[in-house]
Amino acid sequence: MTALSAIRQPQAAPEPAQELNGILHLLTCGSVDDGKSTLIGRLLWDASDLYDDQRETLKKSGRTAGGSAHPDFSLLVDGLVAEREQGITIDIAWRYFDTDTRRFVIIDSPGHEQYTRNMASGASHADVAIMLVDARHGVKRQTRRHAAILDIVGVKRVILAVNKMDLVGWSQEKFRAIEADFRELTLRFGFRDAIAIPVSAVGGDNVARHSEHMPWYTGPYLLEHLERLPARDTAPAGPFRFPVQFVLRDGLDFRGLAGTVSAGRVCVGDRVTDASSGKSAHVLRIATMGRDLEFAQQGQAVALQLDTDIDVARGAVLSCPQTQPTVATHIEARLVWLWETPFDPRAGYLLRTATDLAPISSIKIKSLLDLETLAAQPAEGASVNDIALAGITLGRPVAVDAFAALPGTGAFLIVDATTGASVAGGVILSAANGGAADAASTFRITREMLAKGICRDLGSSEQDRHEFQRRANEAALLLRAAGVDVKLEL
Amino acid sequence: MTAPFSHLDVLEAEAIHIFREAAAQFRKPVLLYSIGKDSTVLLHLARKAFFPQRPPFPLLHIDTTWKFKDMIAFRDKTVRELGLDLIVHTNREGLERGINPIDYAPSVYTDVMKTQPLKQALDQHGFDAAFGGARRDEEGSRAKERVFSFRSPGHRWDPRRQRPEMWNLLNGRLGVGETVRVFPLSNWTERDVWRYIAREGLDVVPLYFAARRPTITRNGQLLVLDDDRLPLQPGETPQTRMVRFRTLGCWPLTAAVASSASDIESVVAETLSARTSERQGRLIDHDQTGAMERKKQEGYF
Ligand SMILES: Nc1nc2c(ncn2[C@@H]2O[C@H](COP(=O)(O)OP(=O)(O)O)[C@@H](O)[C@H]2O)c(=O)[nH]1
Repeated sequence: MTALSAIRQPQAAPEPAQELNGILHLLTCGSVDDGKSTLIGRLLWDASDLYDDQRETLKKSGRTAGGSAHPDFSLLVDGLVAEREQGITIDIAWRYFDTDTRRFVIIDSPGHEQYTRNMASGASHADVAIMLVDARHGVKRQTRRHAAILDIVGVKRVILAVNKMDLVGWSQEKFRAIEADFRELTLRFGFRDAIAIPVSAVGGDNVARHSEHMPWYTGPYLLEHLERLPARDTAPAGPFRFPVQFVLRDGLDFRGLAGTVSAGRVCVGDRVTDASSGKSAHVLRIATMGRDLEFAQQGQAVALQLDTDIDVARGAVLSCPQTQPTVATHIEARLVWLWETPFDPRAGYLLRTATDLAPISSIKIKSLLDLETLAAQPAEGASVNDIALAGITLGRPVAVDAFAALPGTGAFLIVDATTGASVAGGVILSAANGGAADAASTFRITREMLAKGICRDLGSSEQDRHEFQRRANEAALLLRAAGVDVKLEL
Repeated sequence: MTAPFSHLDVLEAEAIHIFREAAAQFRKPVLLYSIGKDSTVLLHLARKAFFPQRPPFPLLHIDTTWKFKDMIAFRDKTVRELGLDLIVHTNREGLERGINPIDYAPSVYTDVMKTQPLKQALDQHGFDAAFGGARRDEEGSRAKERVFSFRSPGHRWDPRRQRPEMWNLLNGRLGVGETVRVFPLSNWTERDVWRYIAREGLDVVPLYFAARRPTITRNGQLLVLDDDRLPLQPGETPQTRMVRFRTLGCWPLTAAVASSASDIESVVAETLSARTSERQGRLIDHDQTGAMERKKQEGYF
């Protein structure tokens, strides 16, 4: 009997559904050799609608996993040539598979410490994370670091897959000890629906079916648990937020604000406020091609037409009048440094929020997370893969929220003004108006100064106003680079 | 009261978001229109993203002169009916040198008639962003592609220069000489594309539907003869067969599949239960492992 005939082939697929019930984004993280690729390959093999040519490729390879009789499922998860040669996963890879009811997106991220940034960016897209550990080694420093990263970017649902149970004799005792360590992490980071599952990726035990080797485990198997978790945006939470992306026009009558509802919902007739100007209007129409909507909720991309023109453009955040975002000039944040070039206090940086891009006056790094102890160490600099606590002062006010309550308007990127690179990604802990930028040494750039000078050639068209804003930002950045604290008062 | 979203609703909203982010941040975008099913979905989403306005960018088609005649007819009809701007670009110099998909290796042909003219057209018009219909599920090296994929001067793709993408924040600030490829369908699968075409009732090139067509079998692949430019080898006689295409390109390089799926419902049903991935029908991709990655580094889309 060949290795492959020993594997259960999925039964003939039932008539596949036209539209699946939502999408679950799944991050997988683990240290090299914990068996991540094998686990993903096994999930694809057992649970998904894998194509025959992909199955054939695996069979033809003739490779088996780690001396076992099983094929090497990790081959289904092939990557960039360079990575295959080095035998490690560097970048994030995206894979897709459908069960009968649901689309799964697997975000495969590298686990090693030097790829903390890759994991953080992968995790920012995830609804749930599978942390992999080797049953022989249990929860390690690496696992703690992964948990800390998940916590920062807002992944609250976590699964600990205790892999290679076959190598510890399917021992319940071993598993319970690891589970206890995991509980500790769960408490520390406040994970929800946290669960530890004993698996053997190679054998498929507790992956897409219960394992006969571990009758003592009565919880759900991995796929069973995944199918029960809620998909993204199914329960709109929080007060209405609508970051404006683009202004649409059609003739003289239609001025639509295009955007995606980032939290809550809005109905035709609702009163909405632009926090930055304090102006309000009522929603006249929620337009999409094909039909107008009565209401729109979190996750929907629409165009809002208001009953009065309150002159908002890209960067504005519409909200319900009762609970508005903070129009902040200073934020306290946690961030992950993403780029090879370290933080440079003299460099020009921009803050990119949901749809706004504003010059930063100053970034003050306060501490770095020690990945060994998970304690904060006082620091002033930050370089690639560092996780920092920082105070950021803005060159002009920006509408934002605290990430914990409203992730859509509480996350940001720091952009290098010269190269355009996204040098850091972060979450807002608190936001305030006023603060450091109001110090006496701050140089204030006003609308008049610009209108008389470098923006003299600009009129009041949409395009010109956009250009005005752009030049204002650039002027602020140049001054910043020269060491002057700047505040834009436009 | 709260409508549950299907996975297609989520994918649609995401694509619209991407279109708007790009249009807001780039100076002069263009939509790369290759006439196939992915381009059809891409164009439909572009129209949705800017409704009731028309998409604020033109379409660009790189014409190798070897596309199926039905594709060109479909292209012209679509553009006319929707009132869109279309730029058609061909590498004249390559044509004059007689580069064709029959006598030249796929890698040479693709470079001269697809990659080079694409760069030429983007440079000539000064486009700083190009929307494309590539999907991450298409091929191994695409699985790591960004939504905003940056190209260094000369349109080179350097994996190390790619920006990390976090949450749904798409940073479109360009460095000097940089351009960007934008992939709104990144997270779609082939199956989603067909499901969506059916759901939205979109027209596609008739070649996707089975019909009786003149075919030959070469190297185990079914080729449909679109004109008389392909010299037949001894023993090859055209045979009429019921076939359709899962993917469309230059006709001597695109294999058909035997099928009786002659309407959208049966094509969707066939796609959803298909046992092989679509790239099987695309001859240029079978060169060698890593072929796509190398092509990309050289500037292929
Ligand atoms: N015995 C055993 N070996 C496993 C299991 N899962 C993975 N392995 C082996 O562990 C090694 C590393 O697996 P791989 O999936 O490449 O790990 P990755 O680096 O985390 O992607 C390979 O030799 C696998 O065959 C398991 O459940 N049991």
